[in-house]
Amino acid sequence: MLIKLLKYDLKYMLKNMSAFYILSVFFAITTRIFFNIEQSVIVKIIGQISLGCMISMIVSVLINTMMRSWVRFRSSLYKDEAYLTHTLPVTKNELYNSKFILTFIFFFVSFAVILLSLFIAYYSKAAWQAITDYIKVITTGLNMSTFFFVLIALIVIFLEVFNAIQCGFLGIILGHKMNSGKVGFSVLFGFIVYLVAQTLVLGLVFIYALFDNTVMGLFKTATVNIDVNAFKVLAILSSALYIAIITVMRIICKKILNRGVDIE
Amino acid sequence: MEFTFDNNIPIYIQLLEYMKIYLISGVFKCGEKLPSVRELSGLFKVNPNTMQKALAELESTSLIYTERTYGKYVTEDRELIEKLKDEYANTLAKSYFEGMKRIGLGKADSIKYLEGIDE
Amino acid sequence: MNNMELLEIKNLRKTFDGKEILKDINLSITGGKIIGLLGKNGAGKTTLIKLINDLLTPTDGEILINGKKIGVQTKKVVSYLPERTYLNKQMRVSEVIDYFSDFYDNFNADKAKRILEDLDLDTDSRLSKMSKGMQEKVQLVLVMSRSADLYILDEPLGGVDPATRDYILDTILSNFNENASVIISTHLISDIERILDEVIFIDKGRIILQSDADKLRKSENASIDEIFRRMFRC
Repeated sequence: MLIKLLKYDLKYMLKNMSAFYILSVFFAITTRIFFNIEQSVIVKIIGQISLGCMISMIVSVLINTMMRSWVRFRSSLYKDEAYLTHTLPVTKNELYNSKFILTFIFFFVSFAVILLSLFIAYYSKAAWQAITDYIKVITTGLNMSTFFFVLIALIVIFLEVFNAIQCGFLGIILGHKMNSGKVGFSVLFGFIVYLVAQTLVLGLVFIYALFDNTVMGLFKTATVNIDVNAFKVLAILSSALYIAIITVMRIICKKILNRGVDIE
Repeated sequence: MEFTFDNNIPIYIQLLEYMKIYLISGVFKCGEKLPSVRELSGLFKVNPNTMQKALAELESTSLIYTERTYGKYVTEDRELIEKLKDEYANTLAKSYFEGMKRIGLGKADSIKYLEGIDE
Repeated sequence: MNNMELLEIKNLRKTFDGKEILKDINLSITGGKIIGLLGKNGAGKTTLIKLINDLLTPTDGEILINGKKIGVQTKKVVSYLPERTYLNKQMRVSEVIDYFSDFYDNFNADKAKRILEDLDLDTDSRLSKMSKGMQEKVQLVLVMSRSADLYILDEPLGGVDPATRDYILDTILSNFNENASVIISTHLISDIERILDEVIFIDKGRIILQSDADKLRKSENASIDEIFRRMFRC
């Protein structure tokens, strides 16, 4: 049943996101074209406009991925559509997991589309060289392989995004539970949950730092002089904390959902 | 045919009346198999349970009978149906004359009116 | 199956913000019946129905369907028509049919298509392009095309014209199977009373009366509608 739920969730998201994806890539292509043909003022202006459009589309892709996943969660669990959702022969866990996996998948897709757009618009040997050089500077400074650095960066970005999504879900559930589903309260609770989660991560890292001088160094100095080990510890520690917090929020969400809903 | 029901009277009693008229008029003939409860309830557009109840009532007066597993049949007793027909005809005739009496017409005059009706 | 109650409700209570909407509801319903859940607006009909469908959580008490607590197993055998339009309006009718086929094993897609055709409803059109009345008809068709044990129809006749009303009643009559029961909630009693086996009167969150419809007519010598009016003077 989870697969079936997911099928319709994916269809919905694809329907609502594909326009942004297509436009993002489209403007990336036009940007590329107009910046590469001979330089007249008009062409230059069109190129600039294309670039602007592409950037705004990329931003739209980011915002919409998050907003749509929240809207979908809220509308199918608490609005009119909930009359169908909650009467389907599926468990509350399956409903929740479907939405979670949906968001997961679409973040990958959106991320890929954004990279693709940037690649189309900007790729040149020189630009690629510049980026790899830049990463190399950092990685040699940190004394780690490029692969490892990119991996850690990706993991942290995704965890951060997940944390945000999960906070949104929990906020919606809490907002509904306590204030009969007014949007304002869902947003407020989402924001509060987010702040609490962030403070918790930061606070716990700081507490850890009290016992570890190298990590404490990161809090104290504002210089670029980063201790390699401290960075590694910090990356692993904060990742672990994020995972723990996301898991706890997930458990709370499921607990509340399984206790039953009150649909208006 | 459109069947109308009066909500003030139990529906099964009204169904019973409709069924009796069908038996008298030969829509369902002596010894013939009746349509199923579902078909009948579809015909009258009523709840199958109510139809069932009306049929049970008909059965208790022996107008129909159940052949186990084969379904329900109209009685083979022609006299029973004739008797029922007679009863209905009598009631109708009586009510006609009563109506005529109320507007001051005697039996002879009433019959004249009857003869004047084109069939 | 026959000896077991299809739906059994014990000491059910529901409060909202300290206000008691349903007070100690006890009810049992057997298979093979059409039951009218009759009450004024705000009497608690929809609340009761939503509790049976897991859209609300009881404050107290128990609801059993075929002897089981509400969950995946009971949702498989309950076919529910809410009093509002609840399908995703972006979908086409044909997509909704696929959706029902995917989730409900007992859904008969061919039957649904046949009835929709009878009603002149195009399966290619999007729900957002249809009038509210048409959407409601689509929903009724979907709900009645499942072969469920319990159908729960919340105000299925709200605001439809007489011709459609007759068609809806016919659809209900001809599509529920023998062992199934149908609960129809309404405040428009005279429109549906001829098809009811049983009536339940609900008022101010309490069940006032549960009786066989014809027995009630006989003993009170009046229509259900009139008995209801007398009782509640509305």
